[in-house]
Amino acid sequence: MNLSHAKGEASTATAVRASTDEPKLRLERVGKSFHVPRGPDIEAITDVSFSTYENEVCVLLGPSGCGKSTVLRMVAGLEQPTSGELTLDGQPIVGPAQERGMVFQAYTSFDWLTVQQNVEYGMRLNHVPRGERRERAAHFIDLVGLSRFADAYPRHLSGGMKQRVAIARTLANQPSLLLMDEPFGALDAQTRWQMQELMLSIAEAANTTVLMVTHDIEEAIFLADRIEFMSRHPGTVHEEIAPSFKQGRRLRQKEELIGLSGYDDLERHILQLMREQGSDSTDH
Amino acid sequence: MAVGRDDHAFRQRWFEFLAPISRKWRIILGTSIWILFFGLWELAVLSGWVNTLLVPSPLQVINTLYELFAERGFLMDVGISVARILGSFVVACAIAIPLGVLMGSFKAVESFVNPFVSAWRYLPAPAFIPILLMWFGTGELPKLALLFLGVIFFLITLIMDHTSQVRSELIETAMTLGGQRWQILWTVVVPAVLPSIVTSMRQMLAIAWTYLVIAEIIASTTGIGAMMMRARRFLNTDEIMAGILIIGLLGLAFDVMFRWLQRVLFPYLDQEGHA
Repeated sequence: MNLSHAKGEASTATAVRASTDEPKLRLERVGKSFHVPRGPDIEAITDVSFSTYENEVCVLLGPSGCGKSTVLRMVAGLEQPTSGELTLDGQPIVGPAQERGMVFQAYTSFDWLTVQQNVEYGMRLNHVPRGERRERAAHFIDLVGLSRFADAYPRHLSGGMKQRVAIARTLANQPSLLLMDEPFGALDAQTRWQMQELMLSIAEAANTTVLMVTHDIEEAIFLADRIEFMSRHPGTVHEEIAPSFKQGRRLRQKEELIGLSGYDDLERHILQLMREQGSDSTDH
Repeated sequence: MAVGRDDHAFRQRWFEFLAPISRKWRIILGTSIWILFFGLWELAVLSGWVNTLLVPSPLQVINTLYELFAERGFLMDVGISVARILGSFVVACAIAIPLGVLMGSFKAVESFVNPFVSAWRYLPAPAFIPILLMWFGTGELPKLALLFLGVIFFLITLIMDHTSQVRSELIETAMTLGGQRWQILWTVVVPAVLPSIVTSMRQMLAIAWTYLVIAEIIASTTGIGAMMMRARRFLNTDEIMAGILIIGLLGLAFDVMFRWLQRVLFPYLDQEGHA
């Protein structure tokens, strides 16, 4: 039974899919329309179906305006779908919760808390005892390489460091699914690929399933075990792409990507999709 | 090929766009305008350009101020005025801060309260003086009520606006970390808006001074404003000006106090950018 394809070619996702075949996250025919006063409802998202499996890094990729962020926000429980079903571990998603932590593109460090207090914040909300809170926060601050800045306030940090605080804060809260909405979009190129490498290594270290939105093709190919490519008009999953040239391996460094055969072809393929879907003239 | 540095020093001019000014010069310039002001005033008196009955010399005013404090119990009047300000302002804040924060946080509260509050804002507080005098007589209550009415509706609106401007990403982050509504209100919304609340309080306290003087001039036998009205009857312009001076100095003192409070309470803020 193949639930996970809207249209386009079916490519078998070889990736790091875990032993079990039960999906971690499942979206089934999810749609969202916005009500406009004195006009027909605008259908932003239509019939989105896909699944994400345990320990997988799944990337939502597509041209701007395809609704990928809206899909992510619905998974986070920050927005309500108008049709369809979203489930995490078989349970329907009915609102935001600790199990689905989200990292935003905009900086979200709490200015009035130090780095340490920021990372402890989620655990404080969930009444984790003080000792454990300290320890877990220190562990994740160390993972993102900010131990020297544990007592600094966010205004002394660079953009990349603030984003690392946000990632540490979310992971320390032990979500079962990590959501990221163009988390590195505001960073400069160099910081950006450093963060991508860092994210892969800590997602692995923390055994986290990741669902991430981006419009950066290279970022998607580098990070993803599976790419859900979304189209505009209608906003739906156009094609599911498994970067099979990686042969189920996770890459550690960006330059490894260049040497791999198959990378060029995949990038060319996605670029073509972007061109087709990104221009307004081609509603075929 | 090197250009002689002395011959071609980077140009320094007095009026330059975007150029900063040193702290030393800032203080010198800021002080000199006051020296200029008092100097011209003194000059006008000494040279007989103005009637000294209407415009006493600045030294005379300072002298009178000293006499008022030392011999005529002016400290009592100042104390009463300050107490009126603080009393009504504390009550106004105790209502405006929680209400404003709730209105800025929850649309339901805003929809209920705001139509009422924003209508009151268009009524100038002094319009209530006659009715306040009828209701409360000439005691402390009408003065406190005037100050309260003059401040509270603006304070509520300011705090509501600041609260609704708390970035949605901060709130949504807390939501996806598992925060409950009241937890988020206390641990995200309140700390995020607190610096702006203190700024609003500072601004509204300056407005409260205005209403205080109005109240004391119109219907009071005590306080700085009342002293000034008494002095008018005896043509003591030096006392009136001493009163003006002390009101200005007290306003300045409160402003400095609030700025200091802001630095102490919010050390994490970039104070330069948040003046």
